[in-house]
Amino acid sequence: MSEPARPLDLEALLADALRPIEPPERVSGRVETTLSKLAEAAASELSWWADELEETELQSLRDPRNWVRPIAAAAVGGAAGTALVLIEVRRRRRHEGLRAIAADLRARL
Amino acid sequence: MEEIDQPPVADAKSNGAGPSGPGKAALDRDFERLYREHLRDVYSYSYYRIGNHHDAEDLTEQTFLQAYRHFERAQRESAGRPLRPWLIRIAHNLAANYHRDKARRPTAALDHVEPVMHPHDTERVVEGRERMRQVMAGLEHLSDDRREALIMRFSLGMSNREIARALGRSDGATKVLIHRSIKQLEEELAAAGAIDE
Repeated sequence: MSEPARPLDLEALLADALRPIEPPERVSGRVETTLSKLAEAAASELSWWADELEETELQSLRDPRNWVRPIAAAAVGGAAGTALVLIEVRRRRRHEGLRAIAADLRARL
Repeated sequence: MEEIDQPPVADAKSNGAGPSGPGKAALDRDFERLYREHLRDVYSYSYYRIGNHHDAEDLTEQTFLQAYRHFERAQRESAGRPLRPWLIRIAHNLAANYHRDKARRPTAALDHVEPVMHPHDTERVVEGRERMRQVMAGLEHLSDDRREALIMRFSLGMSNREIARALGRSDGATKVLIHRSIKQLEEELAAAGAIDE
């Protein structure tokens, strides 16, 4: 003999059915790798840009209207790089302690 | 005033420029905090919107990349308010793009979602799993906005105000949306015999 359906708290049921899902470890790795690639691409762009400079281009750079590209590349490279260093440093902090982190930061600087 | 509620997620011309300037280090620390605090939110939302882990990972990655590109402006314009609605709105827009690009019906996504079970009460595992399947099936019958509102509320624990900001609606309209979503779902489940009316 089957039991009649019980009244249920639908909101509790929804909270159970839609409970948050922990992302796999690889997800954070992917995000950090993507930011890293962004920084590398910006650095490459800067390098290429510097290699390709000729005297006429150097002269043209005296015009501020031509400064947008290198500034943008430097900005994204620096920003992404700093974010990655922060993320990496904080991740290591959990394992290595403050002393090791201080040494790491000194080495980076 | 809510420009950050309209992130240019489909902006193909974005140059990828991240935050810059004298407050860059502080800005990066803030972004890192946002990332750590809401990675699970973005991933959960993506999973329940897309229906599989592989694409949910892609969506999560893209969401944070977009967020990083526009973080400085978002933080400036948020005036200290929480940025989770903005982050979820980015994921929401990317999920919409995903469904459009794949020419899939968004409502089909939850068909394949496996209920996440935590069987503390082992006697009711089977019954609970079946009921959750019925809930998922009921969610599938809801319109996109109703289903999204329920995901934000019950998976992410967002307040009415946060959901309103994420969906670009007023607080009042969001309250009504959630109420009607629950009511419709209740009717769906009652019709399926999953709960008493």
